[in-house]
Amino acid sequence: MIGLTVNTRPVKASVEPRTHLADFLRDNLNLTGTHLGCEHGVCGACTLLLDDMPARSCITYAVACDGARVTTIEGLDNDEIATELRAAFTREHALQCGYCTPGMLIAARDIVLRLPTSDEHSVRVGMSGNLCRCTGYVGIVRAVRTVIDQRRERGITPIPGGGRQALGPAGSGNATNPVVSETTARAAAKTETPDQISVAMAIPNFTPAKVFEDQFTVAFPPAKVFDMLGDVAQVAACLPGTSLIGTPTPERVEGMIRVKLGPISANFRGAARIERVPEDLTGRIVGMGSDQRSRSSTQGEIRYRLVPIEQGAATRVELSIGYSLKGMLAQIARDGLVRDLAARLTADFARNLDRHLSGVPVDGAADGSQDLNGVSLLIGLLRRRVQETIRRIWGR
Amino acid sequence: MKAAAFAYERPTDLNTALALIAKADGTTKIIAGGQSLGPMLNLRLVEPDTIIDISGLAELKRAERDGDELVIGACVTHGDVEDGRIPDVTRGAMQRVASAIAYRAVRNRGTIGGSLSHADPAADWVSSLSGLGARITLRSAAGVRNLPIENFITGALESALQPGEIVEAVRVPVMTPSAHWGYVKACRKIGEFAHAIAAVLIDPERATARVVLGALETAPIVLSDASALFGGRVTGDFKQHFDARVADAILIKAGVANAVDRHIHVAVLRRAINEAAA
Repeated sequence: MIGLTVNTRPVKASVEPRTHLADFLRDNLNLTGTHLGCEHGVCGACTLLLDDMPARSCITYAVACDGARVTTIEGLDNDEIATELRAAFTREHALQCGYCTPGMLIAARDIVLRLPTSDEHSVRVGMSGNLCRCTGYVGIVRAVRTVIDQRRERGITPIPGGGRQALGPAGSGNATNPVVSETTARAAAKTETPDQISVAMAIPNFTPAKVFEDQFTVAFPPAKVFDMLGDVAQVAACLPGTSLIGTPTPERVEGMIRVKLGPISANFRGAARIERVPEDLTGRIVGMGSDQRSRSSTQGEIRYRLVPIEQGAATRVELSIGYSLKGMLAQIARDGLVRDLAARLTADFARNLDRHLSGVPVDGAADGSQDLNGVSLLIGLLRRRVQETIRRIWGR
Repeated sequence: MKAAAFAYERPTDLNTALALIAKADGTTKIIAGGQSLGPMLNLRLVEPDTIIDISGLAELKRAERDGDELVIGACVTHGDVEDGRIPDVTRGAMQRVASAIAYRAVRNRGTIGGSLSHADPAADWVSSLSGLGARITLRSAAGVRNLPIENFITGALESALQPGEIVEAVRVPVMTPSAHWGYVKACRKIGEFAHAIAAVLIDPERATARVVLGALETAPIVLSDASALFGGRVTGDFKQHFDARVADAILIKAGVANAVDRHIHVAVLRRAINEAAA
């Protein structure tokens, strides 16, 4: 249960924690003047006043605003600055479709309040967080500048910081009562139910979307390395983040591998088929798996060939790694980044294999404590998603 | 575009929060202003079971002088810095950095501690606070520790935060009167994440130069003694002695393979040095 003051009216409501403020206002209070564009804080359509400061209502959860004062575009009907801005917007043709206008007016009101002068650069910078795809901004900027000029001419002085005194996120700190574990039914039910992978499930051959080569050397003879690679449990123990499910057979294995990408962690659960040709020391592992959380699935194939080096005293393991990735992770995992991840995996595996063959305990592996860390996958991801979304929304 | 369901907890004091965080498992996230986490939740890139909201903690929403440092609570917003609601010990440097972070509506909720915890290499505080020689205070139920910002950011989106730990404060040293500061970032659109960042803090009287090259695909390059960029000696006419080839070599060594990227980073550094010299 949260309490808000919306457009001077006290409101009490029960709200799911995941409901953002804009949805709460639109769906529960029928205040549809707050618009939603990108829903991740870029386009500015959802901008409203939270404790009198402009804020993005799409990335502010209603539950976090308990006790706050919310002013939407509907609450600015009798506001002096908003009234002047509406007249100026009309006069300067500062809107066409009107979708961005509520957010524009909120942002404009803030800079009219704060900016000492109406220089064009400052106005454009001040309005840069609100996107419009109709007017080309010229009319909007002109309207805002006019209102600033007129008010300063009338001797109305700017208010630095919009008059706010308190520190911390606008809208926070108004509630005095703690919230203890407001669990929703779905959150409780979300605890991972293991994918039931049928033992009989066939693992098909496939044509990988991406293939790359890698190799490493081990200071042991090929025959010994080949034997080791035949022991599924030992191989898994050398792969960081891997755990086996059930008892593997020489031909088939089921398990999980955890991959950590910054704040995202994916738990791929799946099965693999193992083929080995002892005569020419080659092998092939074909697998498929899926991660529930990211709703991503992958098929992968690793082909290996053991080549004797140093007169047969050591082995070069040549790998050909192929994969196809579907779902959320496929959107973010650029080729180079998957390669980077696989390269680190290979390096870890090689090091652990070496230790294992030398009789040194493999530390940290298999228990998942040494998760694969593919953080670089995330770099640029949000930014790229944001750009793509804008392009999608605005058809650019 | 709607976040998946999560449980929500909002403790009202720091000790309760730390106790909650201490027993949290891997699928718990801490939220303050939510200006980085919010988009990720809405895009369902992150689906935590539980979110612990620390934005109500008064302990994290204050700023005060402690000797020759300003201690800024983790939940102080970019807007608070921009509007001068906290004391200024950097002769306006932090204020200028803050006023160019994203957009006003984001700055009114986004926090300094949240930005550092998120550890996006392109974020302004990551580079600028490294340039200012700031330290970060991390607190857990077990205790407290201080780290230089450059030791806190360990990679892209990776920090030295341990499970159970939160950013409590940032400690910014008082800038000396003789210090020159320059901070420039390359953005094609105002408010977007930077493609290159340079922060320079040069004190010719003390013959010191601190330079940060940021917005790389990993943690920023922090040169606590950047005299090599100025022919080995930091003097009053440091601008004339800036050697772009040294900067380029540093970037190559750091693995920036693309010559165009290096060119942008070096150009941004040159501008920051010019700003410091102005």
